[in-house]
Formats: sequence, C-alpha cells, structure tokens
Amino acid sequence: MSAEKLDALFGDLRDADNPVGHAAILAADERHEMLAEGERLLDAYGMNAEFVPAAYGGRLVRADRLAEVQRAVWRHDPCLGLGYGFSSLLGSVNIWSAGTHEQRTKAAEILLGGGRIAVVFHELDHGNDFAHAECAAVPSDDGWRLTGRKETVANLRRAEAMVLFARTSEVAGSRSHSQFFLTRAELPADRVLDLPRFPTSGLNGVQLGGLRFTDCPVPGTAMLGRPGQGIENALRAFQLSRAVLPASVLGSLDTALRLALECVHERRLYGGFAADLPYVRAVLARVFADLLAIDAFCGVGLRALHLAPEATLYAPAVKYLTSRILMEAFEDLRAVMGAQGYLREGSYAMFQKLLRDAAPAAFSHISLSACLVLILPQLPRLARKSWLADQAAARQLFDLDADLPPLDFDRLAVGMPSGDGLIGVLAETAERESAGSPVGRFAVRFRDEVLALRDQCAALAPSDLTIGASPEAYAVAGRYTVLLAAAAALAVWRGDDRQQEAALLGILDRLSGRLGGAPVLTPDERASAEQALFDIAVERFQDRRLLDLSARRVSG
Amino acid sequence: MTDREVGVRVSGEDIERWLMERLAYYLETPVGEIDPEVSLAEYGLESVYAFALCGDIEDKLGVTVEPTLVWDIDTVAALTVHLAGLVAELPSA
Amino acid sequence: MTATRAGAGIEAALDEALGMLDETARRSVELDENEQFPADLCSRLDAFGLPARYVPTEWGGTSSDHEELIRLWRTAARRDISAVTAHAKTYLGAAPVWIAGNPEQARVIADAVLSGAPVAWALSEPGHGADLLSGSVTATAEPDGYRVDGVKWPINNATRSSHVTLLARTGQEGSGRGQSLFLVDKSALQPGTWRSLPKVRTHGIRGIDISGIEFDGALLPADALVGPEGSGLETVLLALQLTRTMCTALSLGAGEHALRLAARFTAARVIQNRPLAERPFPASVLARSAALLTAAEATSLVAGRSIHSLTAEMSVTSAVAKALAPTLVDATLGELAELLGARSFLSDVYEHGAFQKVWRDHQVVAVFDGSTPVNRAALVQQFPRLVRGFATGTADAGGLAEAVSVGSPVRPVDRGALTMLSRQGCSVVQALPALVESIGSRPTPTGLVDQAVALGAMAEYLHGRMAEVAPAARPAMAAYELAAAYELCYAGAACLHVWAAGEREHAAEPLWQDGLWVRAALRALLARLAVFLRVPVPAAGPGDDRLDGALARLVVDAATTGAPITPFGAPAPRTLQQGEDSRER
Repeated sequence: MSAEKLDALFGDLRDADNPVGHAAILAADERHEMLAEGERLLDAYGMNAEFVPAAYGGRLVRADRLAEVQRAVWRHDPCLGLGYGFSSLLGSVNIWSAGTHEQRTKAAEILLGGGRIAVVFHELDHGNDFAHAECAAVPSDDGWRLTGRKETVANLRRAEAMVLFARTSEVAGSRSHSQFFLTRAELPADRVLDLPRFPTSGLNGVQLGGLRFTDCPVPGTAMLGRPGQGIENALRAFQLSRAVLPASVLGSLDTALRLALECVHERRLYGGFAADLPYVRAVLARVFADLLAIDAFCGVGLRALHLAPEATLYAPAVKYLTSRILMEAFEDLRAVMGAQGYLREGSYAMFQKLLRDAAPAAFSHISLSACLVLILPQLPRLARKSWLADQAAARQLFDLDADLPPLDFDRLAVGMPSGDGLIGVLAETAERESAGSPVGRFAVRFRDEVLALRDQCAALAPSDLTIGASPEAYAVAGRYTVLLAAAAALAVWRGDDRQQEAALLGILDRLSGRLGGAPVLTPDERASAEQALFDIAVERFQDRRLLDLSARRVSG
Repeated sequence: MTDREVGVRVSGEDIERWLMERLAYYLETPVGEIDPEVSLAEYGLESVYAFALCGDIEDKLGVTVEPTLVWDIDTVAALTVHLAGLVAELPSA
Repeated sequence: MTATRAGAGIEAALDEALGMLDETARRSVELDENEQFPADLCSRLDAFGLPARYVPTEWGGTSSDHEELIRLWRTAARRDISAVTAHAKTYLGAAPVWIAGNPEQARVIADAVLSGAPVAWALSEPGHGADLLSGSVTATAEPDGYRVDGVKWPINNATRSSHVTLLARTGQEGSGRGQSLFLVDKSALQPGTWRSLPKVRTHGIRGIDISGIEFDGALLPADALVGPEGSGLETVLLALQLTRTMCTALSLGAGEHALRLAARFTAARVIQNRPLAERPFPASVLARSAALLTAAEATSLVAGRSIHSLTAEMSVTSAVAKALAPTLVDATLGELAELLGARSFLSDVYEHGAFQKVWRDHQVVAVFDGSTPVNRAALVQQFPRLVRGFATGTADAGGLAEAVSVGSPVRPVDRGALTMLSRQGCSVVQALPALVESIGSRPTPTGLVDQAVALGAMAEYLHGRMAEVAPAARPAMAAYELAAAYELCYAGAACLHVWAAGEREHAAEPLWQDGLWVRAALRALLARLAVFLRVPVPAAGPGDDRLDGALARLVVDAATTGAPITPFGAPAPRTLQQGEDSRER
C-alpha cells in the first residue's frame, strides 16, 4: 500500500462523474457531510492500518511514509484528511506510546476493524491550555467517576472508542491529569450526553461533537499509563502528530497551487494569458518555493522522529512554520485567482473550499502561538550549548529517500533537547561554500542570523520563556523556525541532485525574506530564480506531477 | 559541558541555594519569597517552562535528569535531596 | 469640532435605525448560512435615507459629502458587510451617469435611486473579469438605437436592479475607444431579448444578488447611450476613481467588526489564570490590528475627502486606497483569527459565529471593482509623474489641507475635474518631506519625530527605486512591490497629515494623547514598508515599548463599552452577551 495506490483509487479528480472527484467532494462539503464514497474508498484501501504499528498488525513503521499517504488524502479532500485520517491517528498514538499490551491490542482491533478512536481532549474554555482542563475524574471503588464537558472533538459521535484527557487531582501542576482509553460501549448511556454538533466554516464535513459526563463511571483499567501521566503522554504523542499533520496538510496547498496554475493558463487577460503576467508568474513561483521549503523541513522533521527523537523542538517548529506559510500562501494564491477563487461553482470551486479549510487545518491540534511557547523555554540553553558549537547532524537525517530504523514510540520525548543538529548545518555550509556563490552568500547570511539569534536568546528575560513572553521573544522563536527550515533546505538539496539549484535559491530567498533586512540575491538573480521555479511548476503541472519534492506523477 | 568543577563535591546546601536562585530568576521574585516546601506549580512554573529548569540542572550539576523531573519532585526541598543523591553517585575525576 | 460631532451624530442615528445589535448579529449569520438576501437591513438603510446620499444634490439628492458616506457605510458594514455590499452597489452603478450622462439620464437614474430601486453596474464578463478592454458584449448600431448581445457575469444586483449601466463594445476590439456605456432600463426591454442569469454561489457574501444578465438581441433606444460613442471605457475609469475609493468603507467596517469581536474575546478568555488581553503578545496583536485599521481609515477618509478637494489626483488616490485598505484589513483579520483560534471558524459558538462570516465576506473587497493587482498596475503606470512630483515637492496646498481636515465640511465635487492620469501626482505623498520638516520643528510626542523622519527617508528611497522602473505594458513583480510600498507610504503620510491637522483639537482624547494612535500606526506601517522595500525595520524608538499596552487597553475598553475603537471611529451599540459564547451550554 502506498500513496501511489491511493492516488490510483481516487482517480481523475476533474472527471465530473468520479464519485470521489472534485464535484462530489464539493457537493459533500456543501451538505456539511463527510464524502461517504471517499470514506468507503479509504476503508477499502485499509487506511486505518497506516495508523497501527506493524507489531500490532498494521503498516506503521515510518513516520514519513505515514505522512506521505496522509498527504495524498489531504490533496484530495482536507475533510477526509482530518476527519478520517488524522483524528484516529492522534488518538491512537497515545495508546502506542503509553498503553499496555492489552490496550494496544484492543486499539489495533478497533482500527483494523474499521473503527475510529476520537481524541477527547479539548474544552472550549481552555483551548491549548489543557493543563487547566476542567473535566475531572475522581477515584471510586473500581475506577473513576467522570464529570464535565469536552467540546469540538472530531468524529465523536461516530467513534467506537476514545482517548479521554481528564483532571485526576486537585493539585496544581503537571501531574494532575490522566488519559483513559475507553470504548463508547463501556460508558452507561444515562451518564454521558452527546452535545449538538459544532458546525464550522471550513472543514465543513468534519463532524465536531462534544460530550457531557455526569458522574460517569470509568473502569480503572481504562487508564493509559499511571495516574498523573496525562500531560506527559500527550506531549510525547504530539511529537509525532505535530510533525505528521503539517506534512499532510501540504497536500491541500499542492492542489491549490495546481488549480492556480490551471486557472492562469486558461484565463485571458490584456491580450494574453494571465500566466504571461510577470506578477502572476512571480507569485506562483514564490508559493511553489514556499511549498518546497516546507516539504524539505517536514521531511527532515519526520526523519528526526526516528533518528533524533530527543530533538523535540522540530515538531512544533515544523507545525508553526507550515501553518504560517500555508495561511500566507493561500492569501497569495487568492490574489492571483481573483473572482475565480471566490466562486463556489465553476472550474475552480475547489479553491475556495481549500482556502476555507486552510484555517482550521492550520489552527487545529495546536495554535501557532502555542507552538512558539513550546519552543521558547528551550532556546536559551540550545543557543548557549549547541548552536555553532555542535556539528551538523549526520547525512542520514537529510537524505529523504534513505532507509530509517522503525519508529520507536518509547523514544518519543516531552522536551529538553540538548543538541541541535539542524542549526549546525548552517555553520558547516557557510564554511564549505564559496562566499561568492549565491548559496554561499545565503549560508553566511543564515550563520550570521544564528549569531544574532544567539545573542537575542541570551538576552531573553525569564518571563520571555513563558506564555507571558514579549512579542519580541515570540519573534525570536519564529526566526528560529525559519533558520531550521533554511538548514533543512540546504542539507536536503546537497544530498539530492535531482533538485535544481534555482529552486533552492528561490526557497532561501523566501526564507531570508522572512528574517527581514537587505536581500541576499540581486533583483536579477531573484527574477531568474523565480522564472526557473515558475517553469518547473508549469512543467510539473503539464506532466501531471506533484509540486512537492516527490514530483510524483498523479492521475489528476 | 558543565559548570561544576570536576572533582569538587557540591553540597546539598549549595544545591538548595542555587535552586532558589534559579527559581527566583524564573519566577522574577526575590529569593526570600520562595518557600522550599511549596510546590513549584503553585508558584506558576507551568509544565513546559519547567523544562528550562531541568536543562539548567543538567548543565550546572553534570547529571542527567528526565525533563519531567520537576513535575514529579516539585519542591525545592525535595529536589535538593534528590539532586544531592544524584551528584553523590557521580564518579569523581 | 462641531463637524465631526455632527458626523458622529449621523452615525449614531444610523445605528439606531439599524435596530438591536443582537438581533442583526444573529440574523445576518443566519441569512448568510441560508443564502438569503439581507432584505431587512437593506430596507432599513433605505428607510434611513441612504439612497438619497447616492444622488448628487443637483439631481435631488441630500448630500454629496463622501467622508460622511464612508462613515455611514462603515457603520452599517460593521454589522453586516454583505448588506452594505448589496446596497452600496447602487452608488457604483449610478456613478458613471453623474459623470457622463445627460440631464435626462441623470434625472431617470436619480428618480430610480431615490425611489429605492437598486442599480447594477455591468462590467465583468465570464473569462476576463478584470480586463475591461476585452469585453465581448456588443452593442451594434441599428436605425433606432443599438442591439445588444452577450453576457455580463458575475454582476452584483444584476437580477434585483431596475437599471443597469452597461459597458458594451461599439467599435474595435481591444481599442480604448471601442466601448460605450449605456443606461439600460430593464423594464423597457423587449421580453425574450434578455434574461437574468442564476445567482452565483460565492464563498462569502452568500446571500446577496451576485448573478448575471444575458442579452440576446435586446434593443436599446439611441438615448440609452451615456456620453459619446466610444467614451465608455473612459467614463468607467473615471467613475471607478470614485467607487474604488468608496469601497474602502467596506473594509473599515469589516475591520472594526472583527477587531471588536477579537478584543472582547481576549478580555474574557483566561489562559493560565490571566485574561489573554493582559498578556504582551495578544496585546501586541490587538494594538497592531488597531493601528493598521486606523491607517486604513486615515487613508480612506483622506481619499474620500480628496474626491472633493484633490479631484484631479484621484487616478492615484483611488488606486492607492483600493489596494491598501482591503490588504491591510485582510491581514488584520488573519491575525485576529489566530487570536480567536477555534472561534474564528466555529460558526455557532462565539457571538453567533460572526467572525467566520466577516472573514469570508471581506475577502471579496480585494477582488471586486478592480482587484489589488489591477490597482497596483494602475499605480505603476503613473510612477513617472509620481517620481517627478515628489522630486519637486509639488502639492496643491489648499486642496490637501481640506482633504486632511477629517470631520470638517467639504467643497462640492467638480466631476469635470476627474482625469485619467493625475498631472500633479499625489499631494499627500509629495507634501510629506515638508511635513516631516515642520513636525521636526515643533513640540511633538516622544518618538514621533524619529518615525516621521524614518518615513520620509523610506519615501525618498522608494521614489529612487520607482524612478528605475522602466515603463512596460506588463510591469515586473518588483514594480508591484514598489506600488505596495507606495500605498504604505501614502497611508503613513495621510496619518501624519491628519494628526498634524487635528492634534490640537483632539488633545484631550485618549487615543490622541502622546500621539498614541499616530505612533502606533506609523510603527506598523514602517514595519510593513521595510518588508516591501527589503530594508531593515527601523529600531524601536523611545516609548515604543509602551504603545502596545496602552493601545490594547483602549481597544479592549472600546470593544466592551462601545466607545469608538479608532480616532476617527464612532460609538458602537453594545450586545447583551459581550465576549461570551452565544451557543447554549
């Protein structure tokens, strides 16, 4: 099973009669329903096996392969991506990393039998601040009794099982919450009430539900790990999910960019095609560069889960920068699409759906600012100990096609990395490349940025390491993610001679633009890099190949 | 890399004084206002923020600790006892 | 300042006429969801007498003060931008008739508008919306008039309108003189020779009448022709100078609506035991949003007043305003959405799900009536004159003083002074160096002089770069970026002019104290300018660290008490459940 197989099952998206093509996807979206045919297709493909480790009968061995398959789903329909795929993945990761053998076996049975596992963490009053979650379980004779509300949980009504996060101690701190793995059948119907669906604008088809528990008995055997291990379990599981989700979501940007390429080659403006306008070409080239940059960053982040799982900042960094770029890229594409990007009908109606889906996709799981809050407390130590001192990580991290040891859930970590093999790439590249070459100039620029960032990190006040950080401190964490992405792009390009240097220059130009200040490229160098990127994008589009690093041929 | 001079034993008192100073720094409060018997969470050392203190502990004392150390042992007094034990087990140079 | 108070009085009266905020908030989301026309709000706008303000006084209208109209549209748009998009279209459709129509045509359209009939403006065609030169609808001369064939689509009000101002080809394709404008009375058309096309389903503004009209041998009388044959494009381009400027009011309303929603949320939302609004980062988002909204308002109000007093510069002013305001507000809505998190897309949880609607609705503003790229291209074509005007410091001092005296009366509009290309460039920007100098030589709030100097330096650098742009039919991307920078420069200059003109009068108002609003606006604009110009962001000035907290506090206070949220704002009605989830638990 593979992304290619999945693509083949989906067939030609532009075929109006395709029951899982654009027309059908849009119609389901209008009805605020999941695409039933799409769910059947994913059932037939055996998607749930992608979420189950091989040891428990599934196909989950490599995080990057998992993300590749998920990206194929997101490329077709983000509602299926989140509502079918991600929801059960996120729920089950907690079980693979913290559950007993019996719990894992049970979860595998549910998933491989076509069932769903919902992630019952969220409370509307607390959002990402789940250490203050209120839904609480108190000990009883043979387990726990649960009272409180959980809200905006994907698939809740349709899920056979759930991983529930609840307060289990009144004490302040990070050991006061626990997770429970429950089937719906275990809960007495009179103690748990399904809340009405939470409708959304964006990811319309995904059914967000809620539950109200009233002194609801929960068996003691349902607990995942020990009492008080809830936050730790979640943070460890999130290391995987926060890397897989952004890598998957990129599929929707791939489709949006392909729609825009199609649109500008079809629409006539000012005596030519829109694609002839330098403005249009530059915008599309830049979005393409951003997509490639993020793909390289995601690819490295996913490989790091296998090769350097202690590097816990990469996942929130990937999630942050992908979400940031995704939102901006859709804005840029919207400007190019004009009215065509605003219509819910016609050849490009898919665009407005993808646009609407982008925000919940980017904000879901963890907000952008919460990603930065995770990164901030670690930065002063990394800056002091590691940056420009540690060597670059081994090549294996950056060769996206190379083998990987199987994913080890026990090694997923909660925090406190002591090294940073990605930032090391920047100093190494600056030393290696000739200072006159464009890549060399970029490398020097990025290394200088690391130096500046190191000083800024040393100057951070203690309060800047918390949610009460100053806007300048948030900006420091944001810049760090950009430098990581630049390092990833440089290292990935070095190891892959299929990728063109012009594309790398375009990517680095965009990333250095995020850092501000004087440009590294001359205007002519930029124009020629963007021209090359545009040409590559058009060629890929005409050859029906994906715009991500895989450049895989697809049916539509 | 550690700030601990190799071969010099750090006493429990040193550890406690140092921990109090670090906490005072992170919480932006005078050392005198920190009670070694009160939970750090009560002072507002939130979950992720606590990792920063664990990093300091590793760097200062040359020991390896779980990032969740401060979640589990969450008063200065208890931390001091625990860390003094870890330091005592370190091979001296 | 009496004029402003009178203005605010009108806004308050409109708010009163629009009804209870809770009712309209709930209702507008519901109608949008069901794709139903916001008929109630539109008839309240009618009853308030808004259509009479679309008609010049010489044709029986009640007002031709464009600042006032921008304020009124903003006031209504902060409740429901959809309803104003529908209603305001009548102003757009009628505008070319005031410019080029004969008295009889003006009387016809004035009567229609005053009676409350909607008017449409049929420019767009399938396949080449923005490209006015390539229109394929034809008007063929016949003995008694014209025969019209072809499709206009998608058109706001196409179905509901009684009259349509129609651009159709009467000459050579692609020629500037190949098109003519017609005033079409739909009720006078022979049945069977035309039909309305079905409502178009759109991403936002779902309820309003975006549809089309198809002509199939429809006969128009000879006197339907507006202006001489072949003058259609010119008339349209002149009318667009008015309409593009006025459309910015929609962005102002949407921005205010969203900012109030987000500010109330941050005040009520407690994370780690403290309200979000008290944390520095969310406070900085609120402050930046308010600063950019204020900059958009200063631009929009000065541009609207320029219709009266800098009329001959509107080819520049309108392109700047129409590109800038929706761009700043789209960016602001994106940032505020992040602040709101799930409540930005949950459609029935927070304050009736208003945010997701205003977010979708507003995205149309950058698309219609000339998209942002179209306006930037229009600006690029005027670079040579702007560069020359900046070098010589040319400015119409009297016109400029009137344009920046926000809240004071305006002179009547001389429509004959509208011109395709501004000869004197842009007084607002060209007077910036002199203004910077004069600000430097008088007592000024801390930090403002440095900011003014930084803006002046960036303007200087920008014009140097603009001078290097070679004229081209298809400008390079770099030229578009300079156009974007020019817009920001205009906004900064507008803020400074308005501040200098009003500081004494408003000294007691909290937003004006220590130059709070103008410093926050300039700081935000300079940061954006640095991005487009690829130069370092100016270092923080003295006192800059206190701007966020001070401004955010005023914004939150305004959002919860209903006080004006910007220095040019108006009081807003309050809801019963402010900042709370409206969904029942």
